[in-house]
Formats: sequence, structure tokens, C-alpha cells
Amino acid sequence: MTPGLLTDRHRYWLLILPALAVMIIFYIWPLVNILGISVTEPEPGLGNYALLAESRPIQTSFIITFRVAAITTVFCLVLGYIVSYAIYNASKRGVGLMVALVLLPFWISVLIRSFSWIVLLGRSGLVNDALMGMGLIDRPLRLMHNEFGVLIAMVHVMLPFAVLPIMANMKGIDRSFVNAARGLGASEWTAFWQVYFPQTKPGVLSAALLVFVLSLGFYITPALLGGGRVLMISEYITYQIQEFLKWGTGTMLSVTLLVATGVVILAAARFVNLRRAFLERG
Amino acid sequence: MTDSVDHEFRRDLVEVAAHRYREGRLTRRGFIAALGALGVLPMMGKGAMAQASELVIVNWGGTAADIIKEVLGDTYTAETGVPVVIDGSGPSAGKIRAMVESGAVVWDVCDSGPGSAIILGQQGVIQPIDYNVVDKSKVIEGATWEYGVGNYVYSYVLASNPKMLGGNTPQTWADVWNVKDFPGMRTFRKSVRGMLESATMAMGVAPEDVYEALGTQDGIDAAIDKFRQLRENIIVWGSGSDSQNLFLQEEVSMGNIWSTRAHLLKDEMEEGSFTVTFNGGVLSPGVWVVPNDNPAGTEEAMKFIAFAQDPELQVKWLELIGSGPANPAASPLVPDALKPWNPSSPENLATQILYNDEWYAKNQIAAEELYVDALIN
Amino acid sequence: MHNRSFFRIFMQTGAWLILAFLLLPMLVVIPVSLTDKSYISLPQDGLSMQHYTNYFTSAEWLWATGTSLFIGVGVALCATVLGTAFAIGCWFLSDRMSTIARWILITPILVPPVVQSLGFYRFWVQLGLIDTYTGVILAHTLLALPYVSISVFAALANLDRRIPQAARSLGASVWTTVISVVVPAAKPGMMAGAIFAFIVSFDEIVGVLFITVRNVQTLPKMIWQGIQDNIDPTIAAVATVLTVITLVLMAVGALRKS
Repeated sequence: MTPGLLTDRHRYWLLILPALAVMIIFYIWPLVNILGISVTEPEPGLGNYALLAESRPIQTSFIITFRVAAITTVFCLVLGYIVSYAIYNASKRGVGLMVALVLLPFWISVLIRSFSWIVLLGRSGLVNDALMGMGLIDRPLRLMHNEFGVLIAMVHVMLPFAVLPIMANMKGIDRSFVNAARGLGASEWTAFWQVYFPQTKPGVLSAALLVFVLSLGFYITPALLGGGRVLMISEYITYQIQEFLKWGTGTMLSVTLLVATGVVILAAARFVNLRRAFLERG
Repeated sequence: MTDSVDHEFRRDLVEVAAHRYREGRLTRRGFIAALGALGVLPMMGKGAMAQASELVIVNWGGTAADIIKEVLGDTYTAETGVPVVIDGSGPSAGKIRAMVESGAVVWDVCDSGPGSAIILGQQGVIQPIDYNVVDKSKVIEGATWEYGVGNYVYSYVLASNPKMLGGNTPQTWADVWNVKDFPGMRTFRKSVRGMLESATMAMGVAPEDVYEALGTQDGIDAAIDKFRQLRENIIVWGSGSDSQNLFLQEEVSMGNIWSTRAHLLKDEMEEGSFTVTFNGGVLSPGVWVVPNDNPAGTEEAMKFIAFAQDPELQVKWLELIGSGPANPAASPLVPDALKPWNPSSPENLATQILYNDEWYAKNQIAAEELYVDALIN
Repeated sequence: MHNRSFFRIFMQTGAWLILAFLLLPMLVVIPVSLTDKSYISLPQDGLSMQHYTNYFTSAEWLWATGTSLFIGVGVALCATVLGTAFAIGCWFLSDRMSTIARWILITPILVPPVVQSLGFYRFWVQLGLIDTYTGVILAHTLLALPYVSISVFAALANLDRRIPQAARSLGASVWTTVISVVVPAAKPGMMAGAIFAFIVSFDEIVGVLFITVRNVQTLPKMIWQGIQDNIDPTIAAVATVLTVITLVLMAVGALRKS
């Protein structure tokens, strides 16, 4: 290795360092601090972590979190798959518009979309008004301030995150296998299920991971549409900190949520190409 | 240290004021008078404050603090020439103590609560109230302490929407738990404050025995269990505005909310679609405390507190913001239309209980845990 | 081909229904913003611009809008500069260490917003950055860096490694090569990254709820408080303005591409 090359490496690192240093000092370090607080406040030790075993509301909140994230994921995968399939395998007409419609929600903030759902799903919201106006119901339905409202809004937010990986995967699939199967007499459904679908699995798994992991940390939507009873962990954390100033419990829950997220990602590494799922999307 | 002051209520009160101001119901002058009565600014008494170079009144800020500052800065200084500093940073017990211990006291009069007044008094960081200057007889019974004195009151009350209930409104907490005859969603606070009392009364416990019943674990469990039974009909409010909004959007037909928010709702809701009863309400006072070595001096602070006892001012502030007069002499001066909404009218006082800070200091943390569990599990 | 098969029709109709589900809720704010009532409703006796007037004459709303624009532009600048340099460095190295560095830089995508906000809050208190513009810009820059670095890196995937090598062998320094050869190739990624960074900042709410008090009021914070305080059609007007701007920008972008 010539000395010149060595200094080049240093120069490349000089390009990398500012961003990396800022990230480590102002992002990673505060996260490590959170871990520190969780074992030192209100007193040193693992007392906060004992709550995971002792506190029923905390356990319930974790169950709610995983349940909501799982249901959201399932719905997003099914709906996202249908959209992606239509985009790549349906007629050419309208494909551009379809892609644009999938991407559009990305640009509208979650807050505004949650607001839209409040307008739609409230007791005197537009959906209830319309149904009552048509005489289909005589009393307003309970569409929000419950898990249903949270789920519908979360699926709405997460759906594009499911569509993109599946679409990216379908893009690379050669239709000729399916056509061959059809030529050999397989029904359209069989050809899809036996030949096409298995090829799209990587995209589906990638989408599942992305949607599930992002759903675990959801705060805005459950807080606005959950009526205080769909208490996901993120809301529980803010509740502990803002209402009771219990930083120990709040940070402990944060660390646990972070670890849970990490475990999910690592467990998924066996089935999902993490590099493609996170590092190379864009 | 346990700080049992309900910080959120204090912050909420300022928001209520700002809300009124934005609505145009409060004139600028009325707004200032109301804030003065709330202790957000010193009164423009006839020379009462002439000697003070500056008086720092500390309250709980809130999103409205900017408006307050703007309005106060302009006019008060113009009227008296006395610079006023309004500090909306929230005089929690911890902050008061830290300030006194650091030796750099910049606060004169703070809006605190009974629990903090007692604890801070014991710790020797606040001054005893000079009852030669401040008139004890101008404060409702049970709202004077050695180190603090009531400056206003508010209640947790049963509010309902008669329109949604076909005119059949709940009169007692037992009615609220009666889902069959009183359908619809209810709203309760995200915290147990002022809530466990209503569940206990719903079980038939007499108001005066509520805290005794809640004194045992069984009593607490029973109250919690009441919430577990009702939870499918509960939407939780986090902030005062939250509770107001739930009524405005007709998401709930009844609930346990602050009387100050009810005060706003009575004007905002259509005629005949909002009412409250103070029956079984929980009354809580706001309390003035004066930190040791306050910069304007003890005398000035006490004079200010005494001045704020003026019944007419207190009525004014009931009209404008909905917090009840701490001075019993104010009740007769309340206009008839407002009497039912006054938490400290003799009629309403008779049916309410006084918020028990000691109980909260001892039991709140454990009860909160059970409460959340009951609502979500 | 069985173009009209049930399966195909199902998939296609389903897709359009799902897309309607994606789109319509966002459009509902438009009629609501034009209501003649002071509460959330469809226009009843006619259309009214009062809620727009409300927004465009409210010092608070306008100031918050300006604040969000200012912070967003600041974040876009900081994140694009830092993130581009980072991605270029990683692209040149393309070794194990630089891959680890890339993983570190994308952590903000994976960490739950509330968790990172607690971290910000505690650290910002120590640094005295609570409720300051610097504090918000710094936090948002961190959240935006992953998007910038990913999109710049993606843009560089199309750059032939032999070109910078050729520049180097002709005697250009590393810096000259970066500026004159690599940056031009990275430009589309930088543009996309800057836009992403701006949007990340412009929409961010959880962080600002923790690290600002009342000195810094951003637009999402105003909307959040509005939803909590008094759901009135002004929020719908604000939402409509933002949605329409987004639609116009997307259409312009699509036209320029085609």
C-alpha cells in the first residue's frame, strides 16, 4: 500500500466523520443516557425493570402494542399486495396514477391525516352523519376512541410503507414462469399462488418487517384516536413522564421497546435482507 | 418530596383565560382584572404597591402565557409605573424549595396548593401567612393554613348533555354508572385525581365518608373496580381542553370535569345541551404561598394577598374565568344566572367534599397504576 | 389471454378501492375547510372562506408557519451538506467499516419517536438547547440524515468508479475529484435528500413536543394543540393549504420528469 492511498482513506473518513460524529454525540449518546437513567432513577438498580414482571398495566400495554402492530401489519400486507400486484400485472392504463396515489400520503403529515380521520370517524363525524342521513343507522356508531379507529388510521399511515418493498420486489419478477404455468394448464389462481407468489416473498417479508417495526413505536395516531384506552407503549411512556415525572419507569419502557424492536429486526434477519430493507431503500 | 399540587389545573386555568380573551368575551381590562385576581399581576390598589419596585407573581403559564405577557406588559406598567414580572414557569414545590435553598429568591407570591403549602411550611422554605394583614374570615372554611391561604377554588363536577340524554340527566355519581338509563360515553380524567371519589360515591358511600372508605386498600380496589365495570363507556381526558372538546364534539354525554371548563362549555354549547351538578363534587382550593426572603418583602406580599381577597374582584373572576371566590362574602354578589355555576356558593358547598391532599400524598402513585390497569386491561 | 378473469378483476378493483381509501380521507379536509359553520361539518348554506381568513390573518398561525419553513430550510441545508459528504466518503471506501457507519447513520429510522425524544430532552436540558431554534434544527437534522445519506448513496450507485479514478490519476486531488466529479453525479440524490429532509422537519411533531416549550412554535405543534384544544375548521383550512401545495408540487415534479 502506498502512502498516498493511506492518506486518501483518511480523506474519505474526513468526509464521513462530521455526520457520524454528530450522530454519535447528539443521537446515540442521548439514547445511551436513557439506558443510564433507567437504572439510576429513582435509585440505582434494576428496580424499574422489575416492573415488567410486576406491573399489569405495563404488560397490558405491551400486549396492546404488539397486537395493534401485528394487525396493522397483516392488513397492510394484504392491501399493499393487491395494490402492488395491480400496478405490475394489470393493464397499463392508470399505472402512473396508481404509483402517484401510493406515494402521495408520504408527503402529507401523519398529524394531518389523523385529523382527517377524526373528522371522518367522530361521533358527529362525516361517516356517522352520512350513514344517519341515509337512514342506515339511527344511532351514531363508535368508530373512534377505540382500537378500531386506531387501526384504521394506522393502516392508512403504514400502507405505503408496505407497498414500496413489495413493488420493488415485483419489479424484478419475470412473468414468463407464470405464463408457462398457465400454458401448462394451471388456473390463474394456481399459477399465482404456486408460481408467482413464492417469488414475491422477499418483498412481503421486507414489508412486514418495516411496517411492524414502525408500528411498534407509534404515538400520534393512538394518542389522538385511541380515547386513552388504546394505550400503546409510546403513549404510556409519555404518560409516565408528563403526568407523574417518573423518568425511571419511562426510560425503562423506552429501553424495553428499543430492545424489543432490535430483537424483531435481528430475528427477521434470517428471512429478510436487512441491507435492502433499510440501507438501500430510497 | 411529594408534590401533590395539581399542576395541570393551574396551567389549565391560564388557558381558560386566554380562551376567553380570544373569544372576545373578556375585554382587555376585564382580562387584566381577572388575571390580577388570579394573582397573575398585582392589583392596582390606591398606592398599596407604591413602595414596591417590582412584584413577581408566579403562576403556571401554559400556552397562553405569551398573550398574557403582551397584555400585561403594555397596560399595567402604563397604569402604575410599577414594573411587574409575571413568571409562568410553574412554582412547583420542588422549584420553590430549590430557589429558596439556592439563596437567589426572585419570586414574591406563588400560586400553589394545600399539599405543597403544608410540606414547604414544614421544610421551612416559605413564610407563614400574616393573618393580621390577610383576613382569615374572608376565606372559606378549610382553606387557610399556617403557610398558605386559599385564593380561589375549583371543583371536579358532574357535567352532562341533556340533549343527548333526552332530558334525563344524571344527578348523582350512581346515575353515571347506570348505563342502562343514562346511555352514552362518559369522560373521566386520565389520572385518579378527583375521580376515585366519584366512583366511591357511586357505591353509595356518603360524601363525608369518601376518604375514610378510600383509606383502606379494599376501598381503593372497590373504586378501581367501578371503573373496570364502566370502562367500555369511558373516553379519557388528558387536558382540560380535551374534556371540553369531548363535550363540544358530542363524543360524550356526561363526565367528571373541572368546573372551570364547564364554565366555558355553558356558553359554547347550544342552549339546553349542557348542565352540571355540584352534587358529589370535589372542591379544591388554589393557595397563595410566599417564599422566604422574597425580594419585595413580606409586607408587600401580604398586602397583595389581602388585596386579592376583595369579593368584587373575586366575583369578576368567576364571571370571566369560572374559578370560584375563596371569599364567602363574594357569594351574595354573584349574579343570579351565575350562581349555579359557582363552586363556592353556599348551596354548592353543601353538596361537595374538600379534596384531600393528604390522601393523595399517601396513595396516589399506587392508585394511578391500578387505575390505568382498570381502564385498559 | 383471459384478461377479464375474476382474479384479475378482483385485484384491479381491489387496488382502486384501496387507493381510494388512501386518498379520500386526505381530501375530506377540503370541503370541511370551506364550511360556513364554526364547527367541523360540510358546508351547509354555502361556501365560506372564513377559516382561510382566520389562518391568513392569525399572527400565531402565520408565525408558526414561518417558523416551520425556517427550521425546515435550515435542516435541509445542514442535513444535505453533512449527509452528502458522508455518503460520498462511504461510497469511496465501500468497506466493512463504512457499512457500519451507514448503519449507525440510519438508526433514527428505527428508533421509536418517543424514545429518541426522551433522549433529546434530557441531553438538550444539559446543553441549554430546550426551546431554542438551534435545538430543534439539530434534532431534526439528526432525524433527516438517514434519508439524505440513503438517497445520495443510491444516486452514486450509477456512478462508474473508473471516472473518479481517472480524475485522480490525472493529478486531481481528492477534494477536486469530489467537487468536480462525484458531487455532480450525486446531485439528483442531494436534491431528493434535501426535499426529504425538509419534509421530515416540516412534519415532525413528537420531538418538538418534548424539546420546545413556547418560544418555538412550529406548525405541527399548532395543529396538535388545535386538535387537542378545539377542533375547529381552521385546522382543516391549514391542512387543505398544505395538501394542495403538496399536490401542486407533485404534479410539477411529475411534469418535469416526463
